[in-house]
Amino acid sequence: MARDVLIDLQHITKVFPPDTVALSDVSVSFESGEIHALVGENGAGKSTLMKVFYGLERRDAGNIFFRGARVEFRTPREAISAGIGMVHQEILLIPEYTVWQNIVLGAEPVRAFGTIDADRAREAVRQKIEEFQFNLEPDALVGDISVAARQKVEILKLLYRNVSVLVLDEPTAVLTPQEIPQLFAELARLRDKGHTIIFISHRLDEVLTLSDRVTVMRRGKVVGTSAASELTKEDLARQMVGREVLFTSRRQPQEPGEIVFRARGLNCRDPEHCARLHDATVEVCAGEIVGVAGVEGNGQFELVNAIMGLAPMTSGTLEVKGKDITHADILTRRTLIAFVPQDRGKMGASVAASILEDAIMTHHILDPRFRTWRGLGLNYRHAAEFVDRIRGQFTVNMGHSSDPFGSLSGGNQQKVILGRELLLETPFVLMDQPTRGLDVGSIEYVHQLLLDLRSRKRAVLLVSADLDELFMVADRIVVMCQGEVVADLATDMTSREEVGYYMLGGKEAVHAETGS
Amino acid sequence: MRKQALSGILGVLAAFAIGALVLALQGFNPVTTYGALLQYSLFSGSGFTATWTRAVPLVLTGLSASIAFASGPVNLGQPGQLVMGALGATLVGLFVHLPSAFLIPLCILASLLGGALWSGLAALLKRAFAMDEFIVTLMLNFIADYFALWAITYPLFDHSASSPMTRPINTAAWLPDLGGVNTSVLFMVLAAVVCWLVMRRGRSGYEWRMTGQNSLFARIGGCKVDANYVRVMLVTGALAGLAGGLMIMGGPHRFVKGLGANYAWDGIMIAVVANNSISGAFLYGLLFSALQQGAIGMELVTAVPSEFIDVLQAVIVLVVVAGRVSLNMVFDRLATKRKLKESTG
Repeated sequence: MARDVLIDLQHITKVFPPDTVALSDVSVSFESGEIHALVGENGAGKSTLMKVFYGLERRDAGNIFFRGARVEFRTPREAISAGIGMVHQEILLIPEYTVWQNIVLGAEPVRAFGTIDADRAREAVRQKIEEFQFNLEPDALVGDISVAARQKVEILKLLYRNVSVLVLDEPTAVLTPQEIPQLFAELARLRDKGHTIIFISHRLDEVLTLSDRVTVMRRGKVVGTSAASELTKEDLARQMVGREVLFTSRRQPQEPGEIVFRARGLNCRDPEHCARLHDATVEVCAGEIVGVAGVEGNGQFELVNAIMGLAPMTSGTLEVKGKDITHADILTRRTLIAFVPQDRGKMGASVAASILEDAIMTHHILDPRFRTWRGLGLNYRHAAEFVDRIRGQFTVNMGHSSDPFGSLSGGNQQKVILGRELLLETPFVLMDQPTRGLDVGSIEYVHQLLLDLRSRKRAVLLVSADLDELFMVADRIVVMCQGEVVADLATDMTSREEVGYYMLGGKEAVHAETGS
Repeated sequence: MRKQALSGILGVLAAFAIGALVLALQGFNPVTTYGALLQYSLFSGSGFTATWTRAVPLVLTGLSASIAFASGPVNLGQPGQLVMGALGATLVGLFVHLPSAFLIPLCILASLLGGALWSGLAALLKRAFAMDEFIVTLMLNFIADYFALWAITYPLFDHSASSPMTRPINTAAWLPDLGGVNTSVLFMVLAAVVCWLVMRRGRSGYEWRMTGQNSLFARIGGCKVDANYVRVMLVTGALAGLAGGLMIMGGPHRFVKGLGANYAWDGIMIAVVANNSISGAFLYGLLFSALQQGAIGMELVTAVPSEFIDVLQAVIVLVVVAGRVSLNMVFDRLATKRKLKESTG
């Protein structure tokens, strides 16, 4: 079926100073009424390209045509009024408002004197929900509905503003395996009603399932556009990474050793005294990788904080290598635990500091070689040698050690953090989403590092939102739901569906099965 | 670092140009005005030494604010800590009778303790009641002011004087002049060197700076951020206290009403223009001192009122701080252009 070109991006170039070329002479065209996937590794420029189109980022060169006319959106508001809407990775809704209130927010129907016509707004939202068969309750509080439903609200918010083009930035990242088919069915229905959908993703299976055409980007350039029916997963991966990628697990069978880490009956509460962890018990043996799965916000973060001593526990015990650390201070824990946090800029490093300053944290206390002048001074010469060691051993691509940490790419920032933590040579390693926001090459590197740790008989606890990752490297997967450990499964004996079933507490999964 | 120096020099020059414009608009001759300013601050023997002596409280309170802001605590209590340090030195100087070799170090110690006591009080309130130090230190400034006024009006009042002030301290506690330069300058330079070593070469300075940038990261890294907070408060209070003590021992040799009122706030301003750097606080302290010293001569020679210097200082602060950001934007734009050329060519 021949379609018209709706959006034409020509020779777009975008530079992030000082010297990151995010987009280099990118030309892509999107046809009306298609689902067009934009795929590539993290950092390939997919999101940046769409942000330039949507008026969130200035471009440094190139032209944008929409419906044959040259356009220039300076703000998202201008793009929306032209009929283009974008759903971002982070969901930005007001939890205390109802579904319909969130949807009309900013475009409320008003009566005379500027008061909101609640009845008319509610009715308009109800009609939209029916028109697109979205299965949403207009009067539900957004804080009470699932992440998948919130995403629907975001989409409906744009449909309410009558957009004909929808840009979705990694919409499946926050969904469980069971929720994804439902989203896809809704998107396909939208396309059949004549909407154009641009779908950013780096998950190859779903790209091939959903889209009509696929454009692959790599390092700020377009590799090519093809019909999805002509592609295989291996083709896509090769185009994305520029070489062959292994999809099979490289985990060798190995008998786990003695128990190294033991968390028993952890309970903790948030400031509002709601239980965030409920009798959580996890054990990790030497030479074993235990994965923690769960929909975000089900106690994984609290578990990590409790292990690190960042949040007080109401009860429970923690033990590493036979040593009770339930009440130990953070420094004592650091002698036993290497910790890679999920947020590099907030917990893993200081972005404003130099690479050297970030690389020597914790070592500057635990390793006497970092001291001079009877412990008063910091041995900067040893620190520089230490950075060189990290650079060599963890293949960090960096300039001088006095350069700001923030000038490194995400993958190299993570390598510096990994190097710092793993060189602590601790028996237990705690990693919270270590591959989040990294490109495929760096992710492969981190996975290899994890398997190395396993063969070197370290105990690893890996919290991850990426089930593929857990199935690739973990020996066991514990599933968390509402602060409880609801399942402890041997990876080789379980399936994604079973893990997904426990992630949803074993309830909604049944519903999804009957629904599809 | 080099960018910092460049933006500082450009900013100061631009501020002087703006100042010249203001002068010209008022009908004054900028050349003779600036000439007089420089003559009486840098290019005459007495002006030059007076500039250094005047710089003592400016540099020390500037260092105090710089170290505090770089490390996290928003210590705005330099005025109060300076007064308490001065009071400490005065008390020892009045009532302890010892030879200079012992009395001078003792007075210095008392001034350090006086300042640290006052900032320590704020740290204590923060630790015990989670009261924010920025408001507590501000309020303590008033308490210190009126406490000192009470002390020099009643118990320590010099009955031969007509306004609130103490008797002169023992001459053994007076800091001698060396070739026209007061020895308080030596203490100031020494303190600046120690500050630089602690912040740039010391283990504590490393932890303090990292805590100031990202305290959660430092805490996860094993730094004792709570203990460090108290230490930073004590050290920065002691620095401001030292400024007060040196002002008594080097200058009027007695606590006079209104001591330090015009200096201590400048310390915060200096930390802001210096972007909390140690060397920056030292250099801007000297610059502001030169301006304030030169203002006296400028008023003598030209008809320009010395208040013009307040304007010039404010313009320097604004231009340097704004310039730092915009200069970075210029660098970014240049880098973008270069990269565009590379990728197309």
